[in-house]
Amino acid sequence: MITLENVSKTFYTKKGQVDAVKNVNLKIKKGEIHGVIGHSGAGKSTLIRCVNLLERPTSGKVYIGEDELTALNKTALQEKRKKIGMIFQGFNLLKTATVYDNIALPLQLTGVAKDEIPKRVDQYIDIVGLSERKNAYPAQLSGGQKQRVAIARALALEPEILLSDEATSALDPETTESILDLLLKINREFGITILLITHEMHVIQRICDSVSVMEDGEIVEQNRVADIFIDPKHPTTKKFLNTLNEEQINQFLLSELAEKGSVFRLTFTGATTSEPIIALLSQQYDVKPNIIHADVTQLKDGVIGRLVIHLDGDQSDVEKALTFLREQGVGIAAWEVA
Amino acid sequence: MERIEQFIEQWLPYITKASIETFQMVSVSLVISIIIGIPLGVLLVLTRPGQAWENNFIYQVLNVLINIIRSIPFIILLFFLIPFTKAIVGTTIGVRGVIVPLVVYTAPYLARLLETSLLEVDEGVKEAYQAMGIKTHQIIWHVILREARSSIVLGLTIVTVGLIGATAMAGLVGAGGLGDLAYRFGHIRYEVDVMYATVIILIIIVQTIQTIGNKLAAYLKKD
Ligand SMILES: Nc1ncnc2c1ncn2[C@@H]1O[C@H](COP(=O)(O)OP(=O)(O)OP(=O)(O)O)[C@@H](O)[C@H]1O
Ligand SMILES: [Mg+2]
Repeated sequence: MITLENVSKTFYTKKGQVDAVKNVNLKIKKGEIHGVIGHSGAGKSTLIRCVNLLERPTSGKVYIGEDELTALNKTALQEKRKKIGMIFQGFNLLKTATVYDNIALPLQLTGVAKDEIPKRVDQYIDIVGLSERKNAYPAQLSGGQKQRVAIARALALEPEILLSDEATSALDPETTESILDLLLKINREFGITILLITHEMHVIQRICDSVSVMEDGEIVEQNRVADIFIDPKHPTTKKFLNTLNEEQINQFLLSELAEKGSVFRLTFTGATTSEPIIALLSQQYDVKPNIIHADVTQLKDGVIGRLVIHLDGDQSDVEKALTFLREQGVGIAAWEVA
Repeated sequence: MERIEQFIEQWLPYITKASIETFQMVSVSLVISIIIGIPLGVLLVLTRPGQAWENNFIYQVLNVLINIIRSIPFIILLFFLIPFTKAIVGTTIGVRGVIVPLVVYTAPYLARLLETSLLEVDEGVKEAYQAMGIKTHQIIWHVILREARSSIVLGLTIVTVGLIGATAMAGLVGAGGLGDLAYRFGHIRYEVDVMYATVIILIIIVQTIQTIGNKLAAYLKKD
């Protein structure tokens, strides 16, 4: 549905040249939610803005479906953009318009039939759960409600694709959850393909099918979400995975344990259930597993269990135990003490 | 009491006539200035680097032109423009003759104020509308001017008050008006009562315009 071919974007500024996006290739299937994660300045916003040509790539091609966006003239591009919705961290609503008008105006301007507009607006206000507030102005709404209006505005044009530039970054954790649920709902109910960018692993884990990790303008790792949890390769990816639930783990305890033995993060997917394997470990190998942290994470499809475990034992016994775990399909990563 | 009645009887026709002249000069030049100034202001914003109609040449030319006009005091402009005024409206005297210099004086000022107002409109909103495939001219009207409307009203208020001030000099080309009345009778003929009366009327008019402008701007601002 979305294909980027060798997309690069260079900004030429007075201070010199910034290669914000370097040679990115990306293919997102219809109906998928793809997340791009990266630290501040990695080039995520620039990349997503290249998809609807708010930023024209310096080189490379952008395809939406079969059409090459980068080859279209202005009018054709405008026509195509009507089918690519976008939401932003800052919501970008008209301050002078009510919730209703914020959704209705783009419909009017893109030529939706006049008697169709009220129906559509009401339908999508309802979907985002704001029927009670339709005459409110944005200043009277909370951040989460504003983002709902922005989502309704995008959906009302009935796009095939939704681009989301840090849509939850300005929201508190609870509101973030509800917005993520809403995105998941529209993905499932309308089959809308979603490309989102974020700097929170949590967002990827909750709603994405696949993920790209971006650093310094490049995509350094790309995989299905479940697979990246089990087998992260790039150091940046590992760091992002460590951010999940990190606050719940006692760092002091962790560094103390790390001095006598090794700490690992184990990841179990659907088929492997954690308990028997850990029990087997202590029976079959000369190691003492000590569970520091355990949680079960809901992914978009399926669940993933995660253990932070301390293995007390000889180097060779630990190695053997790890080999056994790997054979069971358990993802293993050494815990890097912060 | 009797004095006041006598004063009113004697001067009311003059004051009424002068008020009408001021009203004519201000309203006609305001309307024309809006017609010219708003597109100019929009152009000043949209031809900037990074904007929809980015064009450094047009931007710089407008910029310099507006600065030049804005450096000339109205009283100089009034005489400087005489040939131009004659060519356009066929006369350089009376209310008609003063409209051209008033517009030349006001439109660039309005364009500048508008530029400031329009630049305050959040880039993000414009971008959101661009991303929805909405045409630039629609964005100008439905997003930029709409979002700036409260600030535009304040700008128009300032311009209107400025215009009233400028019309005081219109008497020099025989266009009359309240300012001219105060000057001719109050200053030259030492009829200080007339001067005071006129000044009070001017104060009331300016206060009223400013109050209406502030109220309207507050109403239009929804954040
Ligand atoms: N219009 C621009 N002109 C010049 N440089 C730019 C422009 N936009 C972005 N950059 C630069 O490109 C790089 C990537 O910026 P980008 O906004 O894409 O990062 P990001 O990953 O979205 O970061 P954040 O998480 O902070 O939003 C940065 O170094 C930034 O300074
Ligand atoms: Mg960004």
